[in-house]
Amino acid sequence: MVPVEYYLGLSIVLFSLGALGVLIRRNAIIIFMSVELMLNSANLTFVAFANQYQLISGQIFVFFVMAVAAAEVAVGLALIVAIFQTKQSIDVDQINLLKG
Amino acid sequence: MNLSNASASLNAILPLVVVILWACALLLVDLFITKERKGLTALLAAIGMLASLIITLARLDLEAVVFNGMVTVDGFSNFLTVLFLGSGIVAVALSYDYLKRMGLEKGEYYVLLLFTVSGMMLMAVASDLIVVFLALELLSIPLYVLAGIATPRLDSEESSLKYFLLGSFSTGIVVYGIALVFGATGTTSLAGIVDAITAGSAGMGLLVAGAAMLLIGLGFKVALVPFHMWTPDVYQGAPSSVTAFMAIGAKAAGFAAILRIFIQAFPALSVDLTPVLWVLAALTMILGNVVAIAQRNIKRLLAYSSIANAGYILLALVPYGQSDVAADSVASALFYLLAYAFTSFTAWSVVIALEQVEGKGLELEDYAGLSRRYPILALTMTVAMLSFTGVPPTLGFLGKFYVFRTLLEGGFPGLAVIGVVTSLISAYYYLRVVVYMYMREGEPQAIRDPWLYIAATASAICLVVLGIFSQPLFAWASQAMLH
Amino acid sequence: MTPVQILFILVAAVTLGAALMVVNARNLVHAALWLIVSFGGVAVFYAMLNAGFLAVAQVVIYIGAIAILMIFAIMMTRNVAGDSSPRFNSSQIIGLVLALALFAGLVWMTLSWSGATTTPMPLDSRADPISQLGSALVSPDGYVLAFELASILLLGALVGALMIAWDRK
Repeated sequence: MVPVEYYLGLSIVLFSLGALGVLIRRNAIIIFMSVELMLNSANLTFVAFANQYQLISGQIFVFFVMAVAAAEVAVGLALIVAIFQTKQSIDVDQINLLKG
Repeated sequence: MNLSNASASLNAILPLVVVILWACALLLVDLFITKERKGLTALLAAIGMLASLIITLARLDLEAVVFNGMVTVDGFSNFLTVLFLGSGIVAVALSYDYLKRMGLEKGEYYVLLLFTVSGMMLMAVASDLIVVFLALELLSIPLYVLAGIATPRLDSEESSLKYFLLGSFSTGIVVYGIALVFGATGTTSLAGIVDAITAGSAGMGLLVAGAAMLLIGLGFKVALVPFHMWTPDVYQGAPSSVTAFMAIGAKAAGFAAILRIFIQAFPALSVDLTPVLWVLAALTMILGNVVAIAQRNIKRLLAYSSIANAGYILLALVPYGQSDVAADSVASALFYLLAYAFTSFTAWSVVIALEQVEGKGLELEDYAGLSRRYPILALTMTVAMLSFTGVPPTLGFLGKFYVFRTLLEGGFPGLAVIGVVTSLISAYYYLRVVVYMYMREGEPQAIRDPWLYIAATASAICLVVLGIFSQPLFAWASQAMLH
Repeated sequence: MTPVQILFILVAAVTLGAALMVVNARNLVHAALWLIVSFGGVAVFYAMLNAGFLAVAQVVIYIGAIAILMIFAIMMTRNVAGDSSPRFNSSQIIGLVLALALFAGLVWMTLSWSGATTTPMPLDSRADPISQLGSALVSPDGYVLAFELASILLLGALVGALMIAWDRK
């Protein structure tokens, strides 16, 4: 058996990598991929603890996160394509998330 | 649970069910409404929310815990439901003529508005983190789209993309926070979290980490400093009618989640969290008010003002861990939200009246001489600015008064002093708008749309009248305790 | 070390390495492919954690739908795929510091956790986790409200996405 602490550590690293991608990249699609990495890390935590406590509710939550991620991806990519058609670029310095 | 239980559960969330079904029906009905008559769609959307509002008002003292503890209907949720539905109806009134002038009329606008409102109403009743998460997304995703409704106008699209990317980033943080809370307690229900903490079976380190992640994620939604960077750009780029609704509804819904989660589930963590809340509130008030001084664009000015106001609302939450103050915390936060909603709508309706196509009419200079040509608009804007500053007898003054009183009860005089000083700083940029309107010469342009004028003057009158007779209103907010 | 632990270490290395490549990739299509590898690694973990249904859902939804949609989006915004402008934004140092601070903060807070006190029970071979999951999703005692809300959410997102993508004059 792999202890749940290992999964927790793994998910923290994955989550931080995703956050890093959001904070430093310029391209909107890569930023969005990084968000998906963060969601995956959260899902992994849920499943690991659901297995630890033998609770079905952790898996249910992951199911909903997946549904929501699908909804988000539809809207997000529609936006990205729309902005590309207007501007011929999604290399977005305006999307520098650290600047107001 | 048998069938009659299920119908009792649905009955408890009837206002929400009405709005959701109405939205789905409107989506179909809108197909048969010609492009020239989209006003009918607007009217139908408003009627749906009005029906839901009447149902809510008819049973204000309803209390129920349904759907296996995932939904709690109580005074808190009823108060906020009324606030959200009222905001939705005013948003329709502000949108109709604005969209026509800007050439943005689309029936789906109102459908998405109804979806957003239903997400906010769901947030008010959510008492399980699964429902909180779904409500957060149900209110955010339509708002992302609404911000970009002026496509192919670039500023609207960029605002929408920025809002979307930061929104989904904050969603990721919220979901991770919920995962950590689940890891610490083995449950996502707020009542279950409290039970696990009392029983001593919760992993406290994980729980604090989870609570911190939830605070950061929701802090993005309500624009607390240092999670506010997106606000000015998004507020400026989005169509004004959407911005107005975003500034009020989305912020109130974010605070609904923060209040419900922290006061109901995390009082035991207040030792760790109170200093964090203290610092966040102080930073938000100081930065929001100081940076607002430099703004010449009225939409950016109101964006920084909304950041600063988030700080004042957060003040009410700082002493949440003290059980004897918690009730006042909720009451003063709700009252401040209400005052903020009225004030913002008044200000935004004037902004919408003055805005011209292609983003013109939004600089401070465009307000010069407004009192000469449009005395009613100038007067309503003045009332809004006085209420934002916190001058008696407006509702804004009472909002700040109750918040500061809660702070003093909780024993945070230092923070209250910061609040008062930043309010004085804010007087500079709020009153500057008034100075422009009354003391400068200019040729302002505004439209004369009856619905907009009704909304603007009605909410300005409410600001003063409710400010003078605020006792019943505050008594209502005080009943909205969380158990 | 048991074989399961060796498998864990291998898959973890692949998942994290792929995630790092996503964050660091210059080419968008490469980033999408690394993202698929990372999603696949997570699916293997689900299988190791007795969540067979979610492992399949991960492959179908994340790899089959989300990653493929991203590749479509990359192809529709083609001239940026091989673009040579800087990968990172102007405040990359601050971003790096913030991400490290987030990592350190999470590690610090979770280190004070005493660890799981219970050991997971061996899988009960008689209980069928998929039917459990299915009935929990739609039973009124379970998550039927959340299930319905998710469907409303998907409807709203679809209407919104269509409105943005379709209505270009």
